[in-house]
Amino acid sequence: MIRFENVNKKYGNSVILDDLNFNIEAGEFVVLIGPSGCGKTTTLKSINRLIKPDQGKIFVNGQEISQVNPVKLRRKIGYVIQQIGLFPNMTIEQNIGVVPKRLKYDKKEIQKITRDLMEMVDMSYEEYAHKYPSELSGGQQQRIGVLRALAASPPIVLMDEPFGALDPMTRATLQKEIANLHKKLKKTIVFVTHDMNEALDLADKIVFMEHGKIVQMATPEEMLANPASPLIRDFMRKSALAADTLNLTAADFLSANVISVQKKKSIRECTDLMARHHIDSLVIKNEDQTYAGVVTIKDIKKHGKSSGVIGEIEPYQNITSDILENAKDSFDKLYSSGDNYVVVLNNDQTIAGIITKTSMATAMADTLWGDMQ
Amino acid sequence: MSFFETYGDRLITAFQIHLFYVLTSVVIGFVIALLLGILLSRVPQYAKVVMPLLSVFQTIPGIVFIGILFLYLGMIPATVISALAVYAIFPILKNTYTGLLDVKKEYIEAAKGCGMTPLQTLIEVELPLASPSIITGLRMSTIYTVSWAVLAAMIGLGGLGEFIYIGIASNNDQLILAGAIPSAIMAIILSLLIDVLRRAVVPKGIRSVK
Amino acid sequence: MDASIVLEHLYLVAMTVIFSVIVGLPIGVLAYLKPSVRKIVLWSVELLQTIPALALLGLIIIALGPGKMTVITGLVLYSLLPIVHNTFVGLESVDSGIKEAGKGMGLTQLDRLISVEIPLAFPMIFTGIRIATVTTVGVAVFATSVGGGGLGKVIYQGIRTQNMNLIVSGTVSLMIMAVLFDVLMIWINRRLAKGTRNQAF
Ligand SMILES: Nc1ncnc2c1ncn2[C@@H]1O[C@H](COP(=O)(O)OP(=O)(O)O)[C@@H](O)[C@H]1O
Ligand SMILES: [Mg+2]
Repeated sequence: MIRFENVNKKYGNSVILDDLNFNIEAGEFVVLIGPSGCGKTTTLKSINRLIKPDQGKIFVNGQEISQVNPVKLRRKIGYVIQQIGLFPNMTIEQNIGVVPKRLKYDKKEIQKITRDLMEMVDMSYEEYAHKYPSELSGGQQQRIGVLRALAASPPIVLMDEPFGALDPMTRATLQKEIANLHKKLKKTIVFVTHDMNEALDLADKIVFMEHGKIVQMATPEEMLANPASPLIRDFMRKSALAADTLNLTAADFLSANVISVQKKKSIRECTDLMARHHIDSLVIKNEDQTYAGVVTIKDIKKHGKSSGVIGEIEPYQNITSDILENAKDSFDKLYSSGDNYVVVLNNDQTIAGIITKTSMATAMADTLWGDMQ
Repeated sequence: MSFFETYGDRLITAFQIHLFYVLTSVVIGFVIALLLGILLSRVPQYAKVVMPLLSVFQTIPGIVFIGILFLYLGMIPATVISALAVYAIFPILKNTYTGLLDVKKEYIEAAKGCGMTPLQTLIEVELPLASPSIITGLRMSTIYTVSWAVLAAMIGLGGLGEFIYIGIASNNDQLILAGAIPSAIMAIILSLLIDVLRRAVVPKGIRSVK
Repeated sequence: MDASIVLEHLYLVAMTVIFSVIVGLPIGVLAYLKPSVRKIVLWSVELLQTIPALALLGLIIIALGPGKMTVITGLVLYSLLPIVHNTFVGLESVDSGIKEAGKGMGLTQLDRLISVEIPLAFPMIFTGIRIATVTTVGVAVFATSVGGGGLGKVIYQGIRTQNMNLIVSGTVSLMIMAVLFDVLMIWINRRLAKGTRNQAF
């Protein structure tokens, strides 16, 4: 389906693609991986002629692409980029319809395609089709980015770190969705990432690149069993380590700058504090610094009086977790309880910090992906 | 006899002439500026030289264009219109160019990746995204043009400036007001109309991004 | 054309800029401090600049009679917009963390304004002053129509007597003046901006 023959590319004196040769079969999910700057993007963009190699030939569907009109070529190849690049001046439906419109599909057809595609990623057509990209979350935007690439049913889809800018949760969901789409639609997909977990999860074949060369092209099983270079082994090791969240504890995820007050603090001071920090609850401490509970702005409103001290209000017993507790258990608590955060306590029942959904996501991103950039 | 009985007709004519100068020159200036702006944005390496030169030229007051063209073309409306059009070009050109240049690379790459031709990319992606900036330029040009069109009277070509000039020369407050107030109102109304135009032209999806 | 006319023009510009700062800066601060009057203040200065220059001067001449006072008053009203606007925007965009820190240290509003917020907003404010200055150099040619002199006089005379030399020398002096002010003030601003976090644009 896609074949590179002795493809070379230089910028000035530096060699970016060094005599690339490979073949991608129809229907394969191929993942390009390697350290930053190794030439993944350049390889990908050569396929839809956004970049022109200096030497060598690239065949798509048996045709040498330098002989094909680039506009026509690109309409048969879907393209998804990390920055998403949904046109902010167009609605979701118009964005998805960009290529079909140019291929002269009629309006009804475009609407049907949009509806069907959105259904596949569980986004309601009625709710979202007429919104603008700025009204969607990052994850939703990238879902639409993927759908836009699929809209005209191109046999090939190129994706350049499509989920790189998303938080770990959204990223995991989108990975699942893309795997499902691939199963359903049987497209040839070329997918760039620098995340080995993503590669191992998604790929039929992984192409590992370094300094513009292919170091190894193999199935995930083969690459796991016989990594061809120390660098590949290193990538594998890090990902294995990262995947192992089992030995992480609550301590690894907590955010220590939690706002806590003594029971004898005046209510007025407490509301000021909340306003100043834009928070809607405070963690309350006993005289001896041990955890007493949580008071929310609602509780204060219910209490009615702004004179007096905060200790007069019965604090809410928020969920807590021990600092040495397994992180996964803390997360489960957080998600099942409905509370906004978990209060993490030291052995002596003093407050160590809190785990919010956000602090958890950031910490996860740091731990899992932070050092792979 | 009241002021309006004496001057009413002349005032209406002057207002019409003034408006005619402004509209014609802004339309001409807009078309030229838009085309030049697009052209320059395709060759940013030249634009780096051209744009600073243009902003130096922009410091030339409108009266100079009118004066010089007057010497060459004589006392005809084309003198005023072309001088004002030249002056109207600068703000629109500058804003078109920077507006287009500020369009993020990712949108252009996405457009190419979707198989848009360069012309389609320009019309469907770049110009809509640059439209807030372009409209701002148009507004500036229009306001300036109303202001400089007052000078048409200086070379005997009418417009509301006639009242102001004669009023100042003859120390007649009524005449000054008769020229100043309608021209101020014209500028305000035109800029309000352009705000309406902005609502119509700037795509909904980017309105919050001023 | 002699140097005294250039000086006369410079005098008009200088007086205008000084008074626009004296008037405009407090108005900008007011717009920043008092959200209740913000809209009306910003809208008024924008409206002032919408009025054609000669019309504005014509209106003032009715009140003040012809002369330099009229010119300077008109030009000041005309240059308020960039100064007020940039003062307001500059103060608004001072990092909220820094503002909090000032509050936290127990500084009064006036204290904070003078020792923290205005210094940080200054590059932006100065940019407003620069725009006002350069614009004033050009708009001041209208001065001659209301008896204020300056380079406008040379250019008008050139046009009336069909003397190309006079027009060109008037115009070129004007351009040089505008460009010099622009370059000089950009340079000063760069030096001032070092060490403050609000970059001018
Ligand atoms: N337009 C360009 N000019 C010069 N060098 C470039 C250009 N584009 C990319 N490069 C260089 O080419 C190398 C490969 O880039 P790229 O393919 O984007 O790497 P990645 O594997 O991270 O996607 C990098 O070292 C990059 O700095
Ligand atoms: Mg890349």
